[in-house]
Amino acid sequence: MKKKFLLLLLAVSAFTLASKAQDTVKTTSDAPLVVSGTVDTYFKSDFSGHNNIPTYFANENNSVSIGMVDLALKKKVGKAAFVGEVSFGPRSDSALPSGSAGYHIQNLYVSLDLSDKFNLTAGYMGTFVGYEVISPAANFNYSTSYLFSYGPFQNAGLKATYAFSDKVSLMAGIFNNYWNVYSSINSGLTGPGDVSTFGAQLMVAPAKGWTAYLNLITGSYSGTEFDLTTAYQITDAFKLGVNAADFSGPNSSGGFSGVALYPQLAVSKTVTFGLRGEYFKVKNGGGDVTGITITSNIKAGPLTIIPEFRFDNKSTDFITPFTDSNNAATNSAGQFVLAAVYAF
Amino acid sequence: MKIVIVALVCLSLVKSVSAQQDLLSFDEHNKYIYYQVVDKSGVSADSLKIRAIAFLKFSFPKNKVKQNDAPDQISGTGKFLVLTGLTLVKHEDGAIAYNFNIECKDQKYRYWLTNFVFTPYQRDRYGNFVPHPGIEIPLEAANEKLDKRDALNYLGQTGTFCKLFGDKLRLFMVNGPKKNSEVIKKIVTDKW
Repeated sequence: MKKKFLLLLLAVSAFTLASKAQDTVKTTSDAPLVVSGTVDTYFKSDFSGHNNIPTYFANENNSVSIGMVDLALKKKVGKAAFVGEVSFGPRSDSALPSGSAGYHIQNLYVSLDLSDKFNLTAGYMGTFVGYEVISPAANFNYSTSYLFSYGPFQNAGLKATYAFSDKVSLMAGIFNNYWNVYSSINSGLTGPGDVSTFGAQLMVAPAKGWTAYLNLITGSYSGTEFDLTTAYQITDAFKLGVNAADFSGPNSSGGFSGVALYPQLAVSKTVTFGLRGEYFKVKNGGGDVTGITITSNIKAGPLTIIPEFRFDNKSTDFITPFTDSNNAATNSAGQFVLAAVYAF
Repeated sequence: MKIVIVALVCLSLVKSVSAQQDLLSFDEHNKYIYYQVVDKSGVSADSLKIRAIAFLKFSFPKNKVKQNDAPDQISGTGKFLVLTGLTLVKHEDGAIAYNFNIECKDQKYRYWLTNFVFTPYQRDRYGNFVPHPGIEIPLEAANEKLDKRDALNYLGQTGTFCKLFGDKLRLFMVNGPKKNSEVIKKIVTDKW
């Protein structure tokens, strides 16, 4: 029995080697079924002893807590592709639409290349607006910015993208009336709404390593947001990202504006330091806040260890209160996070 | 017995990667190169060049072929994807750009692939793996700038790709481009 098992092991190994030799190199755009994902966990300590900073994720204080497990499948055959991505965990729960249906969809869409330059995509997709995203592996900082927390996370709709060249492309699409919902819903939240949000994105790549996205999303239900997201890999070691946005709510119901800078410096092949400096203002007298986040990414293969210090300083009239260790109102808050993200 | 089998499996794994890596050599500029000279007796330089052009059009249609002053030489650029992960759970980890040259003489030809440059891929917000803008790592510097295991993996995959490139080219140089007049064999079912 033992011998049979060992021979089987040998046969499987030989088969794996043989198949590896055949499929390690792709000469066409058709990739195999791509399976990818992340798992993340963190420990946070707010210097006041209780949670203060109101941006998304890493919300549990003085606790070794979990983020989410994320699984994505992608397949492209010829000109047609799909992506299906599900996630589970507190990070996922706080970012995805709630509801009794129990969906946990990050991305679910199909796309078709009508030509080398023209693509159509339909379904539920990560938003095209903003610098930061839900996935912890795609962000440098573990905690998120105010601009991320107030902006859209996902949009369901149909979009068309035309690439004029490698350096310029334009996307335009129509999306469900509300952001971050799997299906459209009316203003009374009692039934279906409509597909009335318009979105557009102009991508330009002015120099090698520099990409900039000018984004617009507008609709009578969700309001209008202009957004600039850009990143420039200036040298092999130094990268600078910028995000600026202005949002006006529907029916003059306020909004926000802000800007964030993301300088990052790789000091070795495994260690990168980064800073996020953000100024964020809530319209109609909602006050403002400045946040400084110092983060390091330490890579160990697919695992990234993320130690992070964050200090936020707000105006007295900012809509979210901060309290110190004595529960007295204060305008400053700080926290330390140690996170681990495994991406595959 | 168990230890011997496990050792054999490990040894064959290491040998497989290093065998592909050994296909690459260094040229006079200290760059990795895959270089082959092939005898093709009885075929003129013009015929070999026509076959080489057909090979590029058929097997690597996305490669960019440069206008070349030398009449017997074809050169250009291309790229291939490198994957990471196990057989069933793998994704694009990056792309390696390369320069290729094919030179044809009467009764022989030579070809070489060199100037391999790795661009890492990252996962975007839509679940796709896309190039990381602005990062380009010559394969010669992979050991310094990448994880050693990754660097070895990419070198192995580059060797495999070069061999695949050469095997396909050799096939075209032997058979020539398929002629349009070539009749496809059909089975006639009304006569038997």
